[in-house]
Amino acid sequence: MSSKGRIGVYICHCGLNIAEVMNVNSIVEYTASLPNVFITRDYRYVCSDPGQALIKNDIKENDLDRIVVASCSPRMHETTFRRVLEEADLNPYMLEMVNIREQCSWVHIGEPEKATEKAKSLIRMAVVRTTLLKPLKMEEVTTLHSVMIIGGGIAGLQAALDLANQNHKVFLVEKEPSVGGHMAQLDKTFPTMDCSICIFAPKMVDAGKNSNITLLTYSEVQEVSGIVGNFHVKIRKKPRFVDQIKCVGCGICATKCPVKCTSKFDVGLGVRKAIYVPFPQAIPLVYTIDKKHCLYFTKNVCKICEKFCEADAIDFNQELEIIELDVGAIIVATGFDCYDPSELGEYGYGTFSNIVTSLQMERLMNASGPTGGKILRQSDREKPKRIAFIQCVGSRDKRTGNVHCSNACCLNSIKLARQIKEKHPESEVYVFYNDIRAFGRRFEEFYSKAREDWVNFIKGIPSEIKEDPLTKNLIIFAEDVLSGYLLEVEVDLVVLAVGMIPPESAKELSRILHIPRGTDGFFLEAHPKLRPVGTNTAGIFLAGACQGPKEIPESIAQGKAAASSVANLLFTGKVMIESMIASIDQDLCIGCGLCEESCPYVAIILADRKASLEEALCKGCGTCGSLCPEHAITMKHFTDKQVKAQILAAFER
Amino acid sequence: MSQKIRSLSVNEPLKSTQLDPKFKYEVAKEPGGEGLGYCFQCGKCTATCPIRRVESIYKPRQILRAALLGLREIVLSSDVIWLCATCFSCTERCPQGVKLADVMRAIRNIAVREGYIHPFFQAQGKMISEIGRIFEDDEFINEQRADLGLPPVPIVNLEEFKKILDSTKIKELLASKGSK
Repeated sequence: MSSKGRIGVYICHCGLNIAEVMNVNSIVEYTASLPNVFITRDYRYVCSDPGQALIKNDIKENDLDRIVVASCSPRMHETTFRRVLEEADLNPYMLEMVNIREQCSWVHIGEPEKATEKAKSLIRMAVVRTTLLKPLKMEEVTTLHSVMIIGGGIAGLQAALDLANQNHKVFLVEKEPSVGGHMAQLDKTFPTMDCSICIFAPKMVDAGKNSNITLLTYSEVQEVSGIVGNFHVKIRKKPRFVDQIKCVGCGICATKCPVKCTSKFDVGLGVRKAIYVPFPQAIPLVYTIDKKHCLYFTKNVCKICEKFCEADAIDFNQELEIIELDVGAIIVATGFDCYDPSELGEYGYGTFSNIVTSLQMERLMNASGPTGGKILRQSDREKPKRIAFIQCVGSRDKRTGNVHCSNACCLNSIKLARQIKEKHPESEVYVFYNDIRAFGRRFEEFYSKAREDWVNFIKGIPSEIKEDPLTKNLIIFAEDVLSGYLLEVEVDLVVLAVGMIPPESAKELSRILHIPRGTDGFFLEAHPKLRPVGTNTAGIFLAGACQGPKEIPESIAQGKAAASSVANLLFTGKVMIESMIASIDQDLCIGCGLCEESCPYVAIILADRKASLEEALCKGCGTCGSLCPEHAITMKHFTDKQVKAQILAAFER
Repeated sequence: MSQKIRSLSVNEPLKSTQLDPKFKYEVAKEPGGEGLGYCFQCGKCTATCPIRRVESIYKPRQILRAALLGLREIVLSSDVIWLCATCFSCTERCPQGVKLADVMRAIRNIAVREGYIHPFFQAQGKMISEIGRIFEDDEFINEQRADLGLPPVPIVNLEEFKKILDSTKIKELLASKGSK
């Protein structure tokens, strides 16, 4: 056997994806002429069973020791082909994949000849690199059975319940004083018209009672380190100034508290006290003092709550607590924020008193909302008789930076419109839309029922809203696109169907967890079709609207999917970790510390003027290797020698 | 100039032979026409347009639709493409980032090359090439200017001005075939 190896190269047609654009025969001919290439074959689908068998047989019969597969992205099939090598008793790292689909035939579809030449060059480079590959061993690590879930909305709660029922210890981190998220704020749900909190509260109660679930409410994730199976987490538990164990939730404190402030839960429409629970069904039913408004904290007076609390639960000296946890996996379920329409000058939200957002409308319809379930105008507390919904506010609007469709707003507005017609059939309801997207099961029927209820659907996005200064009524200017007429519709109340945008916390969390976000700002799934709840960081999963706008059943399904992915991962108690990491030659190390400073994963520690690597923490990003002035750090599987040879081969012909 | 206004309306059903699928590319290639394809027909432009309020045949949304459908000759020969006052309200409010005033200009530029110039602009063009102004001098204007403390309208050096004009294509354009 030659010292540089016997290489088998497999060129995939990928059906017609590759073969239709490029001249595969010419690639095969060229590849066969390259040094060290012992066998070259092309096949319709190398990833198929017969394709894999081809490689296995060749390895055995021809004593091949290195394999190059020229096909799609390694993100698709690297695992497949590594397994093929393993099954043929070859070290799985003796494989190199060349992406001649995404990087050649797809991007250069209009230039087939150049694409073919590029594929040849990439294969030539890979072959040279392959001669220098070294066998590596994957490390096995044991995993913890505990899980952290970030976000206590419907997706996070569902994941928590599913995992707890499989006997995993779950830590549910929620930044608000109660779990519940947006679903707790909604009045009804489409298309079943269930009362939202009625179907949701039992799940919240279950989560609160489940002995496998620890609720860490009013808490935020501060730091995450470690790897799949063994994450170390620091959580900031904010002080409530109320003892969580002693408080019985009787609420006498809130009735006695003299300070009124606007309620975030009621989206600014209602008032609450400075000591409060956000809503009656809160879990845990523990009161929280709002430090910004409390008279004791602002003026050093009052303390009435402390006087009246029979449970002696008020504790003005409570401090911020840092909780440290070790967990095997993490689920991110941080949901969404509603778009703030104040920046859209043409609609006058925030200036005209009788314009609300769709979430505010939910609170106005809700029995526990600020008006006790009566729809009232802000300007005169009168019942509006003419109500208009405007769709796509902050969605599908490039000016706002939100190109995406928010999925749920069409049906949500139809739901609210039907509720209004049900309560007040004499009222006129308008829905100004551009496209009605009733895509889910029973959604079209739901939309159709709204038309039967005589809701006025008008295709046309309003250009402007003006306010009548006397009546505070609103005049909506729009084109009825389907007829071409211009409309000036006067209504008593306008509801802006605001879009879903990534929560403010997403940017920070993306940094803490090292998980990327898409161009829309939502967290990026590992694969849009095949791994919808995975991320590119092993052991971290996504659920619900933090990955993109979703309605309730979809969020629940994702919560369940993420829980199942975690259970799958942690079931055996062991995971294999990638061996493409750094390695430090301590004889060459001069102890300058550049690597320690630059490592984003805190995997390098300088001791006695020598750098040493905590292998489990290293993700193989290569930052240290590129900085080391003494070339003491080598990236396994991407050594300088391998990469240089590959680059030099690029310029050969 | 009391001719009938040419709108975009057509009585007979449009046959596929009347639709030029390449027209959209032609517009998009013309500087300013790039955003045509973004349009999703929400009607915000028409709703916001001050011209639409005085002239019901002018609907920016409909012009973009007709261009996308490929009604090449109907669009280029229509009078409506000349009605845009370039106030940019539509451009400001379009949620899809279509620069409508620019698209409208791109369409007019193609129309001019094809010989479709609205008689009003043609008359202006002729006036400029003959007297160097878009309207004739009269004493009344100078009296008004004097009242405002402004100097009289400057005298155009017609010889030099014509030299400049001759180096442009304006004469050929004004004399071209399809002018109405």
